Amino acid sequence: MPEPLLDVQGLETTFKTSEGTVHAVNGVSFDLREGETLGVVGESGCGKSVTMLSLLGLIPSPPGKVVTGSAKFFNQDLLKMSRDEIRAIRGSQIAMVFQDPMTSLNPVLTVGRQLVEPLMLHLGMTKKQAEDRAAELLEMVNIPKARERLGDYPHQFSGGMRQRVMIAMAISCSPQLLIADEPTTALDVTIQAQITDLVKRLRAELGMSIIWITHDLGVVAGLAQRVMVMYGGYIIEEAPVNELFANPSHPYTIGLIGSLPRVDIGEQQRLISVEGVPPLLLEKPKHCPFAPRCKWVMEKCWNENPVLEPVAPEHRVACWADVKKERPR
Amino acid sequence: MTDNNVLLRVDNLVKHFPIMRGIFQKQVGAVRAVDDISFEVKRGETLGLVGESGCGKSTAGRTILQLYRATSGSVNFDGVDLGTLRGEELRKTRRKMQMIFQDPYASLNPRMTVGEIVREPLLVHGVTSDAEAYERVKQLLELVRLNPAFSTRYPHEFSGGQRQRIGIARALALQPSFIVCDEPISALDVSIQAQVVNLLEELQEKFGLTYLFIAHDLSMVRHISDRVAVMYLGVMVELATRDELYNNPLHPYTQALLSAVPIPDPVKESTRTRTILVGDVPSPANPPSGCRFRTRCPIAEAVCAESRPEFREIKPGHFVACFFAERFL
Repeated sequence: MPEPLLDVQGLETTFKTSEGTVHAVNGVSFDLREGETLGVVGESGCGKSVTMLSLLGLIPSPPGKVVTGSAKFFNQDLLKMSRDEIRAIRGSQIAMVFQDPMTSLNPVLTVGRQLVEPLMLHLGMTKKQAEDRAAELLEMVNIPKARERLGDYPHQFSGGMRQRVMIAMAISCSPQLLIADEPTTALDVTIQAQITDLVKRLRAELGMSIIWITHDLGVVAGLAQRVMVMYGGYIIEEAPVNELFANPSHPYTIGLIGSLPRVDIGEQQRLISVEGVPPLLLEKPKHCPFAPRCKWVMEKCWNENPVLEPVAPEHRVACWADVKKERPR
Repeated sequence: MTDNNVLLRVDNLVKHFPIMRGIFQKQVGAVRAVDDISFEVKRGETLGLVGESGCGKSTAGRTILQLYRATSGSVNFDGVDLGTLRGEELRKTRRKMQMIFQDPYASLNPRMTVGEIVREPLLVHGVTSDAEAYERVKQLLELVRLNPAFSTRYPHEFSGGQRQRIGIARALALQPSFIVCDEPISALDVSIQAQVVNLLEELQEKFGLTYLFIAHDLSMVRHISDRVAVMYLGVMVELATRDELYNNPLHPYTQALLSAVPIPDPVKESTRTRTILVGDVPSPANPPSGCRFRTRCPIAEAVCAESRPEFREIKPGHFVACFFAERFL
């Protein structure tokens, strides 16, 4: 098997708050192959964004702290890099797109200026070259009259257009890895379709790897090759996308898929709801983090936190129960 | 019309918000938020009202409840023209129609306890004595599956899903027959959405409630509605029974909207062909002439710019506003 592009081992991140230490990420290990699109799914507070921000040194410290772990990217450990070293990688080899394009763009600088800057900084282009390239990039993300729009400010673009500008900025230095954190969540569904379509096209053209963070299983189904489900700061299930939807094996994944209404299916029964609420994580759970909400909970679940174990090729689950056979593993 | 099955009839409803400018606040234009919509809601049914942000669906809901006064047109509730009611009379009628709001954080007064919040409508409308009100609050909280002991706590002590239950308990306090649910679940996590939707369905069965369910999530609307109406830029473009609308959409906008919704099934997603709309929704302050959708419509012709297509009944119970809807029959 070829070396993975990114290899994360045992990542733990905590935040100090007035109510105590929040254990946001509790030992997360995963890898990403070259050219692969990995979907990371989970609800608010499950640790999916914090995991990725930790890798890029974007956790505000204090209050946040990457406690332990390693993240090998081209045989360099991202977590051991100095500020300047990680800054050189961020934006050039690894780029990120965030949920809210309005807060990630500088409102007082023209879009052109914001696009030109990284090109001159990271790639050493002249102003003229950078401007030509910026116009090209806006064209690539389907912004009409690209060259004229370089002089416009972010507020002159609509939400969907701003997200295109963000994507143009992210791909400007041809990164090997694009991390997209809920990039379509704030957008309307027809605009979301435009953006996912665009990302699929760019992925094919540029051959980059993508980590796509979302709470929307529908988006993941259409975009990712492999999916990781997170809960309470842990990865609780990981599988190729078809396998995950065909054979979800963790009670939480099963609940999540069952709680989704389907636009393509007519008469439906009551939705399967997952009762209860996600954990607060003020303590690092000593038991399975999902135990308080789980239908299949057993004695063992309260005593020991399950670790990811393979159940099928490339399919790993962290659960003591074999849910389908209704018995312990 | 004296059709006893119809609880709510909306005729040619228009709501424009003036745009003022200058120190004399001269009106220079209007945001045509709702621009001539007509429909009926039958007793005991759920009518889903879908559309993207800014299409006027929430304004329609609020204007129906007389939270905004209509610019023109009429709203007939249970045989009474609400637009003609004033003061005390309107207040009395309001008992029968309630609203559940989108944001469970902004819609509950942070300085009132849960008990006070749920009790307030009872006291305002003077329907019960203090002692009875206390009993009734207990019942209501049990009804929405909250522990009645929580009635002395404040909203910030609850999660989003629990807060939405408090909002539902408040809406039910006066035993209304009609509830406008304005995006009641869009602020909630996926697994919590199913809990709230199941609760709404259960309450409907129990009390024979009629819902106007406003949402942008087409999958959830398909799940909960009996009939569905689609809005675009202030006008209604299509209305039909649930399965008819989802299986045989006749308006090009409805078709595009449905094809844009991601399906949580990777096998289906990979074989699906999408209609991707180009561009963004135009401004409601300056909508296109003729058909509002023509600027993004894949089948628009010259006639679409000249006159506005009539909202007509193309087959029994299926209304559509498009000159060329017959093509898709």
